[in-house]
Parts: sequence; structure tokens; C-alpha cells
Amino acid sequence: MKFLRLRRTLGLRARVTVAFCIGTFFLAGVMAGVAYALAHNYLLGERESSAKRQAFVDARLVRSELRSPDADVTSFLGTLPSNSESASLVYRRGHWFGSSVLVAPSHLPPDLMNRALAGQAATQRFEQSGTTYLAVAVPLPSVSAVFVQVFSLRELNSTLHILSASLAVAAVVTALAGGLLGAWASRLAVQPLRTVAAAADEIARGNLDTRLQAQDRDLIRLAKAFNAMVDALQARIARDARFASDISHELRSPLTTLSASLAVLERDTSGWRDSQRQALELVKSETASFARLVEDLLEISRVDAGAAETNLEEVFAGEFLCQVAANLCPGVPIDIVGDAGRCVIGVDKRRMERVFANLVQNADRYAGGVVRLGVRRDAHAVRFEVDDAGPGIPPAQRERIFERFARGGHGHRATGTGVGLGLALAWEHVALHRGRIWVEDRPGGGARFVISLPLVGEESDGERVPHAGGAVERVRAGVDRLTRRSHLVGGTRRGDGST
Amino acid sequence: MRQPPHQRRWHSDCVPRILLIEDDDRIRTSMRLALTDEGHEVVEAPNATQGLDAFAGNGADVVLVDVMLPDLDGFECCRRLRKSSDVPVIMVTARADTHDVVAGLEAGADDYVTKPFEMKELSARIRALLRRARTTGSAGGDTIEIQSLEIRPDAGVVRRRGEPVHLTRTEFRLLCELASTPDRVYSREQLLERVWGYDYFGDGRIVDVHVRRLRTKIEDDPARPHILVTVRGLGYKVQTAP
Repeated sequence: MKFLRLRRTLGLRARVTVAFCIGTFFLAGVMAGVAYALAHNYLLGERESSAKRQAFVDARLVRSELRSPDADVTSFLGTLPSNSESASLVYRRGHWFGSSVLVAPSHLPPDLMNRALAGQAATQRFEQSGTTYLAVAVPLPSVSAVFVQVFSLRELNSTLHILSASLAVAAVVTALAGGLLGAWASRLAVQPLRTVAAAADEIARGNLDTRLQAQDRDLIRLAKAFNAMVDALQARIARDARFASDISHELRSPLTTLSASLAVLERDTSGWRDSQRQALELVKSETASFARLVEDLLEISRVDAGAAETNLEEVFAGEFLCQVAANLCPGVPIDIVGDAGRCVIGVDKRRMERVFANLVQNADRYAGGVVRLGVRRDAHAVRFEVDDAGPGIPPAQRERIFERFARGGHGHRATGTGVGLGLALAWEHVALHRGRIWVEDRPGGGARFVISLPLVGEESDGERVPHAGGAVERVRAGVDRLTRRSHLVGGTRRGDGST
Repeated sequence: MRQPPHQRRWHSDCVPRILLIEDDDRIRTSMRLALTDEGHEVVEAPNATQGLDAFAGNGADVVLVDVMLPDLDGFECCRRLRKSSDVPVIMVTARADTHDVVAGLEAGADDYVTKPFEMKELSARIRALLRRARTTGSAGGDTIEIQSLEIRPDAGVVRRRGEPVHLTRTEFRLLCELASTPDRVYSREQLLERVWGYDYFGDGRIVDVHVRRLRTKIEDDPARPHILVTVRGLGYKVQTAP
């Protein structure tokens, strides 16, 4: 569990780096340990054999001295070649001879003496007051004495200390180097993932032509799989889009025929019965809404296919709203707040008129009609407001109503002939303008649909001042395709459930 | 202005003759019925070749051309009509936001409608074109002189450095409209309303394409116009001095 949690908190790269660090530290530690052990044994062995050699040479000298009857052992011991690192002692008939300050005879390990007294040469290491000594005991049976030589191992020990310290430092440095190597290697290994992520981002943004190019042999499989996935996705999107567009195209011709024939029929209905006239009216209005639906479907499938082009023209926000109102809902009060009338925006008139037409139609059908149109200026945008007299839209529904084939509330099926493409299309059209559309509460009850379009410029004293960064240009429909796509998927799925 | 003899027919004919080039039988029939009902004389053609033949034979006051035709596409058909005539042409296109609209206008169409259209809308377009045809020549009496151009609205004649310039009726009306008040800026909406009879929501591309076409005929360098200039963000004007 702990490991799992670590996996989640640490990234892949961090984990690889830590693993490299620990691994190299372990390896370097083992190597250092082995190296130390080998060096230790070798140096100690060398030291012991040289000590033994010297002790036996000295022992022979002591024996020949002791054979003479008037031997002065103590002074003879002083003549032996010696230094501060070694001391010589002789044990004879229960007495110790020797003047060494290095170590007192009583401190010699008893085991060593026992073996020497039994007639066996022996070596033994022992510690005294923090220093390690090596004692070599040589029995001299011909003169019934034991020669003991003691060597200090301080120098050797300090050499070994330095060695162990340098090995430890080397191990740590190796571990750090291992960590760096790990970081570098993991970065190298993660690099292709970044390329994949960038490509996926690009595709999500709507550039379905993005493909991965792998030069590396190891990555070709990943690239192939990724590209195959995008191919399939692209083909599927194209098929979906084409299907809707094909159907709509097929329906256009009969609709043209219907509409022209209806024009002939309705030209003179003077000899008709009332029921016939009523039936004609029904056919007429249904044909009209059918034509609108086909139009909407075509429009939306073009947007989906990324083939919709906007034809933006610079217009005054106030004038535009007045023209919209005159066309769609004459008589509705228009509220131009502050200097909003002088703001210049870029609109595709045909599309934006459809947006307003859809909002007005929606209000007429579900919410008692439009009661006010407004326009006001935001910081970098112009806000159009369409207020209706309905009961308002509950917050939970406010996103859903912009989905395809979502109806406003329940029970409206009997009153309206249109299906809910209007608001979805409005959403698409506004997105093509790089604007936003949403719904909020109207002060005093009812719903307020808000369309926010980017400000292009404004007029002051008869001069048109372009807004920073605002130049009208033809924009391809690729903008916001990511959001649109998710909108589509969510819309159809949830739409199925609601209708 | 070059005027082949058959194009003056509408002066004597009271009933406007409409040539309908459309390959779908049912659409063609229903449109014929509706247009006849409104008092037009309708000549039908199921493809471009027959349509061009019918026009060469009897002429027409307005030609309706579908973009999708079995033999030639509507654009080519329009271009061939334009070679010999300045008859008003309405393109029937698939979609309003496609290149079809601009391509049709570039090919010489005066206006367009998109399928499925309301007959009312089509009739309005036809009426506007016929009115334009009839009023050419009565926009003003005097000769207007602008830089190297000499415009005589009453005679329907434009000369550039003394040489006659061949303009379609719509181009001529557009030039007369702009030249009637030189140096005044006209917005696209104003031009759409005055020349084409559209309201505020008419397609500004119609104006743009016609201005472009007009420039190739009256300007020395259409890419850097001196007579018919663009006023950025506002519209177009004809200026008296470069």
C-alpha cells in the first residue's frame, strides 16, 4: 500500500531517479566493502609476516646473548634495532626484562604467553588504550626464555581509516552520479511521451491531421499505434459528419419542389373550403419548419466537419441590434446601455441573425415571447441580452439546453413543431465568432440569454478606433472544435435519454 | 456598350422571359409553375448546353442557373453567358457559406439564392433585377466625369479615356450609384439596398465581388485602385482625384 501511495505521489521520472540512486548506492557500497576487506587483509598479512620475520631475527640474537653466563638482558635489548612503533621483551624464570614504554608485560594477552610457554611460536593482535598492537612470541627453550616483540599497528590502522573513508565518499558520489544518470535517462525515456502528449493536445484542439513521426526504432510501434488510432478517429468523425450532411442534401431538392408548389397552391385559394385552406396552412408551416431543420442540420454538420466559414463584417452593435429587432420582433423595447451603440463588432450577419432568430423563436414557443433586447459593453466584449417572459431556466438545465435536440422543459412537445437544434446551432454560430452564449436569470423573473462577442473597436468623434488586437478576419471553423466536440458527444448521449 | 440585338427584346415584350437551367425535373416543373403563375414566361433547360442554345436562340430577361448541372457546372455556364451578354443571372447555390457563392459571383452572376428557397424570396430577387434592367439609363441626366471615366447614365454608356467600357447592368448601376455623389462613402448595406434591393441582412460579399469586377474594368491597376476605393471599416467610394 505504501508503495502504491508512493507511486501516486512521485512521478515516473522521480521514481526512476530514486531507483537509480538507491541501486548505484547499493552497488557502490558492496564494491567498497569488498575492496576494503581485501585491502585490510592484504595489508594486515603483510604487516604480520614482516613482524614475524623481524621477531625471529631478533630472537636468534637474544638467544645467543642469553647463552653467555654474564648476560645483561636489559641492556642487550636496548641495542636491538627498534623504534617507537615496536618494543622487545624477554621472559625468563618468572621475570620480565625490557624497558619498553610501549606496553606493559602484564597487558600481553595470556593466551599468547601460554602458547609460547608451551613451546609454540604465536602471534596475536590485541587492543590497549585505543591502539591495536601485534605481539609475536618466540619460545627460546635452549635458554628457557620467551622472546616477545610488540608492534604498534597505528600507522596501518590510520591507513585503513583513510581507505575506508575514501571508499565511503566514493560510494556516495557514485550514488549521486547514478541519480543524475537516472534523471537524464528517464528524461530521455519520457521525451517520446511528451511528443505523444503534444500530438494528442493538437488533435484535441481539432487538428485531426496531426500524426506522430518516429525516427527511433523503439518508438515506431507507439507511433504506428497512435497514428492508427487517429486515422480511425478521423474517419469516424468524417463519416458522422458526412452522414448528416448527405441526408440534408438529399432532402433539399424535394423541399425546394414542395416550397415552389406550395407557392402555386396558396396563390389563389378563393374556391377552397375552410378545411382545405387549413390543411394547406399546416402543410406550409410544416414545410417551413422542415426546411429550417434541414438547414440547421446542414449548418451544424458543416461546423462539425470544420468546413464552416464565417464572413465577418464590422458593424455597430447598437445598429445591428436595432436591425435584428426590426426583422424579428418589431415593437420589443431595445435598451442600448451607455456607449454600447458605438462599439464595433465583427459579425457574420447571416449566422448572427439566425442566432437571434433562434432565441426569439425559442422565447415565443416556450417563454411567452421576448420582452426586452439589450446591448451593453463589457471590458473587451459586447453583451447582447435577450429577455423573455417565461418562468426562467433552472440552473441545472442551463447548460443542457444548448445541447442538440434538448427541449426547453417537459410537455412542450404538443405546442412546438421544431426540435431542439436551434440553441445548439446558436451555440455553434457564436463559437465561430469567438464569442460565448449562456443563459442567466433576468432581474424580475424570466430568463436572459446573453451573447458575448469580442469587441473590435469603437467610434469616437466620428473616427473609428480599432480595439487592441481586434481585426476582423475570416476565421476558420477550427476554433473551439475541442469544446464543440465534447459538447456534441455529451449532447447526443444525454439527448437520447431526454427525448 | 455592346448590345446584341436579341437582348433588347424585353423592351417590346411585356411579359418578362425567364430561362431556367436546372437538371432536377421536379424542381424545374414546380418552379416553372410558380414563376408562370406570377406572370413570367418560363423557358426550361435541363442542362447547360440546352440552356445556352435556348439563350442564343430566343434570349431572356433573367437567367436562373443551378450550380450543379450534368454537363457544365453553373459557373462555366455563367461565364459563357457573360461572353456574349449582360443578361441578369441568378445562381441557385447549395449553401450560403460556401465558396460556391463567391465563385458564382466571380463567374459573373448578379445575385444568388440558396436551396431550399421560398418562392417569395426568388420572386423578389427577379423583380429587383428586372427593375434594375429597366431603370438603367434613368439614374440621372447629365454626364458624370470622374478622373479618366466618362459616365452617361441616361445612355448607359461608360467610356474610359474615350474607349467604351463593357459593364453588366448591375456593375453599371453600382458605378452610377457611387458616382452620383463622388467622394461620399457608401456602406455595403446602402449599396445592397440601392442596387440589389436587399435589407440590412443582405450578403455583403455580393457588393465586394461586384466592386472587384468593376475595378478590373475601370481601373489602371485593379490591385491599387484610384477611382473606386475601399474605406476600411466603412465601405466604398468613388473619388474625384486619386
